[in-house]
Amino acid sequence: MYGELGNKLAQHAKRTQSLAHLPPYQTDIVRAVTREVRDLDKDVSNILEPFAGSFNPATEPATACALLVNHLCMRRDKRCLLAYHRVRSDKLEEMCWSGIDALERSQQQNPTSGSGEGSGNDGAGNSSSLSPEEEEYVRQYSDLLAAYKGQYTDVDLTGSLQPPRDLFIDVRVLKDAGEIQTEYGAITLTKNSQFYVRQSDVERLIAQGYLQRLS
Amino acid sequence: MDIDDILAEVSSAALIAPGTRDLHALTRAWVAERVAPELLPYPTPLLDRVLARISEQVRSVEDGMAGGADGLGGAATGGADKEKFRLIVVQTELERWKFLVRGLLRARLKKIDAHPYHILNTPDVLAKLSTSETQYLRAHQALLAAHYKSSFLGQFPPALQRLDDTAGGVSMIDAPDVDSAVFVRAVRDVGFITVEGTDTEFEMKRGDVWVVRWRSVRQAVESGDAELI
Repeated sequence: MYGELGNKLAQHAKRTQSLAHLPPYQTDIVRAVTREVRDLDKDVSNILEPFAGSFNPATEPATACALLVNHLCMRRDKRCLLAYHRVRSDKLEEMCWSGIDALERSQQQNPTSGSGEGSGNDGAGNSSSLSPEEEEYVRQYSDLLAAYKGQYTDVDLTGSLQPPRDLFIDVRVLKDAGEIQTEYGAITLTKNSQFYVRQSDVERLIAQGYLQRLS
Repeated sequence: MDIDDILAEVSSAALIAPGTRDLHALTRAWVAERVAPELLPYPTPLLDRVLARISEQVRSVEDGMAGGADGLGGAATGGADKEKFRLIVVQTELERWKFLVRGLLRARLKKIDAHPYHILNTPDVLAKLSTSETQYLRAHQALLAAHYKSSFLGQFPPALQRLDDTAGGVSMIDAPDVDSAVFVRAVRDVGFITVEGTDTEFEMKRGDVWVVRWRSVRQAVESGDAELI
């Protein structure tokens, strides 16, 4: 059935929207849908061939109907593909914004179970849940984001969107993060230790799952 | 901030320090940008001033810090140390300013990403973007287009490769919904407002709060007679 695979893609996209992680890229379905579009296009040119450019829908309603169905199916497939890719690229952009390394994340076999938002489990056992094109996209988008952000260094655009309450917060170290430099000197973050630090200094580390905020 | 503050501010704007006035303007721009369904004009002079002041303060904090910082413990219990306390107050306030600017810019980027082709095809809207936002928009769309093309569009028949196709009954260009409802408060007497598509007409007086379609109050908001809340 025309459009059935497209429908599957749309369902995948819908499912992706409510997941914390990115499920594996559906290479086979994407390929099959693309093939369907090409076949439909071939059909259309085959149907139109005998008319040599002088097709009149009024005299051939049956053929016109077949053409219309083919056309609509192609457009529908295209919309499904676009929707699927858009949902995924949105998700990837979101990761770029929140400082999660999408490339690294997708390659991890057993992601550490960190708390905090965005650190879902990568259910796929595959080596990567991104298509090569998506990996390239992530790289270029991070560059673009860095370039835009670079114009507002003082504001730190990727910072927290929660209104700031306290300048200093209590954090617990979940993973060894080594030594960091703050305006109050260097601190060494060793696992299970607790610190009272400036929020803007450690925001990134919280997003990456190294630190946990204690309220 | 309630209505009395705003009324007081309108009448005695000259008495308020320029910094405070900018803070109010920034807060308002931030609120408006978050609720308006459409992009609002980029407040260039305001943001330039604010950003300049932020970087100035960041520098002064760093200078103050270089003066006498010795580890975290000192900062946390530094209540006795007047200078340190002053720096903490300044920094807290600085974080709030940063948050407002960040929120404002992020809200704008979200809208830019949501309706890229509508913005690119409408010169009026494109003019509301800052230079760097326009750059971001174009670069981002080029990236997305290349991504789609290499993923599947490249293998499509040429007639179907466009991303801004309006043929075939469904337009591919998504535009913001100008009919969505917004909360709006009149700063001055606005006069009569007609809601398009209905035969509703009402008078908006100073201090009134209404829930209306964005389309019908857009003019009043852009001229500053009313503000979004």
